[in-house]
Amino acid sequence: MNALDILQLLSPELILALTGFVVVSVDLAMRRRDEGRTAATIALLGLGGALVATLLLAFAGTSTVEAFTLAIDPYSLFFKALAIVSVGLVILASISFMRGKSRYLGEYYALLVFAALAISLAVSATNLVMVYLGIEFLSITSYILASYFRQDLRSQEAGVKYFLYGAVAGAVMLYGISLLYGATGSVDLATVGALFSAEGDQRLLGIAAIILLLAGFGFKASLVPFHQWAPDTYEGAPTPITAFLSTASKAAGFAVAGRVFMVALPNLVADWTAILGSLAILSMTLGNLVALKQTNLKRLLAYSSIAQAGYIVLGLAALNPGGDFDGVGGLLIYLLAYLFTNIGAFLVVMAIEQHSGSVDLAAYNGLIKRAPALALWMTLFLLSLAGIPPLAGFFGKFFVFAAVVERNLLTLAAIAAVNAVVAAFYYLNIVRAMFFVESEEQKPVSVAAGLSAALAISGIMVLVIGIAAQPFITWISRSVEMVLVSGM
Amino acid sequence: MTSADYLPILILILIAAPFAGIAILLPSVLGPKNPNRMKQEAIESGMIPFADARRRFPVQYYMVAVLFIIFDIEVIFLFPWAVSLNQLKIFGLIEMGVFLGILLIGYLYVWKKGAFEWE
Amino acid sequence: MAQQALFLIMAVFTLGMALGTVTSRNIFHSALFLVGSFAGVAVIYFLLEAEFVGVAQIIIYIGAIATLIIFAIMLSRSVTGQNGSPMNRQWAFAALGAALLFAALAWLFSRVDFGSTAQPVPEDAIALIGAGLVTEYVIPFEVASILLLVALVGAILIARERHS
Repeated sequence: MNALDILQLLSPELILALTGFVVVSVDLAMRRRDEGRTAATIALLGLGGALVATLLLAFAGTSTVEAFTLAIDPYSLFFKALAIVSVGLVILASISFMRGKSRYLGEYYALLVFAALAISLAVSATNLVMVYLGIEFLSITSYILASYFRQDLRSQEAGVKYFLYGAVAGAVMLYGISLLYGATGSVDLATVGALFSAEGDQRLLGIAAIILLLAGFGFKASLVPFHQWAPDTYEGAPTPITAFLSTASKAAGFAVAGRVFMVALPNLVADWTAILGSLAILSMTLGNLVALKQTNLKRLLAYSSIAQAGYIVLGLAALNPGGDFDGVGGLLIYLLAYLFTNIGAFLVVMAIEQHSGSVDLAAYNGLIKRAPALALWMTLFLLSLAGIPPLAGFFGKFFVFAAVVERNLLTLAAIAAVNAVVAAFYYLNIVRAMFFVESEEQKPVSVAAGLSAALAISGIMVLVIGIAAQPFITWISRSVEMVLVSGM
Repeated sequence: MTSADYLPILILILIAAPFAGIAILLPSVLGPKNPNRMKQEAIESGMIPFADARRRFPVQYYMVAVLFIIFDIEVIFLFPWAVSLNQLKIFGLIEMGVFLGILLIGYLYVWKKGAFEWE
Repeated sequence: MAQQALFLIMAVFTLGMALGTVTSRNIFHSALFLVGSFAGVAVIYFLLEAEFVGVAQIIIYIGAIATLIIFAIMLSRSVTGQNGSPMNRQWAFAALGAALLFAALAWLFSRVDFGSTAQPVPEDAIALIGAGLVTEYVIPFEVASILLLVALVGAILIARERHS
C-alpha cells in the first residue's frame, strides 16, 4: 500500500479535518461579522465533499483495509456517512436558529465539523488507544457545544453536567482498556480477541472489562444506568446540539461498542450479550416510564431517546451471526432510521422554539391550524419513533425485534413489545395536542429556509427508507457481513 | 534504566531533605523570638500590604494556565520524537511538521482573540 | 527488596495524599494534597521503569495541571472563609461503593495471572515511543494535535465571552 492509497482511504477524515481548519482560519481572517454564514457554507461544502468521498469508498466495493489503527471497512463507512449527514442537517438548521444567539458562530460550525471527524475516527478504530482518543475527542467537542450559550444558566448546567459525567465515564472506560491490555499485552483489537480466552478466571476479568468499557460506550449511547446526564444536558444545550447528541453521538457509542465487543471479546459473546440485554430492559423501561410524565418537549425527547437506546442495543444483545436476522444489521437499520426521525423531531422543536421561545408541550397546541406543514412533519416523525409501518422507524424495530425472537429471547421480546406500546402513548399525546387541542395563539409559524430544507430532507428520508427499504437493507447487510466475518 | 540507577537520586533526597528540614526547624527552636507588628507583616520590608492576598483572581490567570497545559503536552510529544529523530528520516520530520502546523492554527487563534493581552 | 519497600512507602504516601484531597475542609489544601499524590504516582511510574510516563506525569500533572487547578480555585472563590465541609449526605454511600469496587477488583486481580504477558522494558524505550508516534501511531498522534486545537478554541470560548 503506497502513500496515495492511504490518502484515498482516509479521504473522508482528511476532508473533514481540512474543512475544520479552513473554517477556523477563515473566521479569524474575516473582518466583517456575518453571523457565521460563511463558516456554515464552508462547513456544509466540506461535509458534502466528505460524504461523497465516504460513499465512493463504500460503493467502490472496498474490502476491509486496516492500517495505522484504523479500519476502512463497510461498517465504519456506514457510520461515517451517518455522522456526516447528521452534522450536515444540524448545521443547515443552525444557520437561522443560532443567528444572534452567540458572537462565536464561526467556531460553532468548526466544532461541529470536528465532531463529525471525531465520530469518523472512533467508528473506524481498531486499536484501544484510538478508541479512547476518538471518544474523548468527541466528548470534549460536545462539552463545548453543549454549553455554547454563555449567558444561559441552563446551557452552562448542560455543559458542566455532561463534562463531569463524561470525565468519570472516560476514566472508567480507560480502566477497562487497561485490564484488556494487562491480560494480553496488546491494544490491538484483533490481537486482544485472539489472545483473550474465556476460560476460568480470565472470564471474570473479561466481564469486569466489559462492564468498565460499557461505562464509556453507554455514556455516549445514553444507556441506563449511564444516562443521568442526558435529560439535563438535552434540555439545556442549544437545540441543534441536542439533535446532534441524540443521533450521531449516540450512534458512535453503539458503533464503537459493537466493534470492540465483536472483535476484541468474541470469546465472551455470551456474557456481553447478556449484560447488554439487561441494559436494554432497564433503558427501555425507565426511559419510557419517565417520558410519560414530561411536558417539556426537549426532556420528553431526551427520555424517549434513552428508551430508543434500549431498543437499539437489542440488536447487539441478540447478536446472531449466520441467522436470518443477525442483530447487528438491525442495529444499523435502526440507527439509520432513528437518525432522520429524531433529527426531524428536533427540527420541529427548533422551529417552534424560534417562533414562540417555548419548548413546552403547550406550545404545540393546535399547531395543525397555525402551521399545518410543521404539524404533519412532526406527526410523521413521532409515528416513525413509535415504529408505525410503513415509516423508517418500523423497519428498525422490525429487524431488531426479529433478531431477538430468532434468538429465542422471548422475555426480552415481550418487554420490548410492551415498551413500544407505552412509548406510542406519549408520542401520540403530542399528536393529540397538535390536532385536537385549541390554542389561544393564532399567529402562523414561519420557518427559516435552512431549517425547512433540513426538515424536508429528514422527512423524505423517513418516508423513503420506509417505503423503499430494500436498497438500504442490502447495503447494511453487506456492511455487517464484513465485520461479522472479521470478528466472530 | 533500572531502579538501581536511581540510587544516587535517592541518596541525594535522603541527605537534602533532612538538611532542609534542620535548616528550618533549628532556628525556630534555638533563635531568639521578639515578635512585633512590623515583623509579622507578610513582607517585612517594602510595600505596605493594602489588601488580603487571598482574593479572587482575574480569569486571565486561568487562560494562561490552560495555554500552558496545551503547549506542555505538545512538548511531551516532541521529547520522544527528538530522541529518535535520527532514525525517522524525512517522514518523521513531515509528520511533526503537520502536528506543529495544526497547533500553530490554535496559537494564531488564541493570539488573534487577544488571550495574551492583559486587560 | 529495596524496590518493594520503596513501592510500599510511595503507595502509602500517595494514598495518604489522596485521602487528604477528599477530606480536607479547605479546598486550597485539597489542591496541594492532590499535587502530592501526583508526585507519589510519578515515583511509582519510575519504579515501574516507565520513565516516559513518569516524566510526562511530572511535566504535565505536577507542572501544568496543578497550576491550573490552583488558579481555577483562586478565580472561582475567595479562599478565606469558605471552608465548607467536602462531605455531603451521600459520602457514606460513595465510600461504601468505592470500598466494594476495590474489594472486587483486588479479589479479581489476586486470581488472574498477569505475569505471562509482562515483558522486560527495552533499553531505548523513549526512542521506540518516538518512532511509534510517527509510524504505527501516526494517526492518533496527529489527532492529538487536532484535539489540542479544539481544546484551545474551547478554552477561549469558555473563559472569555462574558467579558468582551
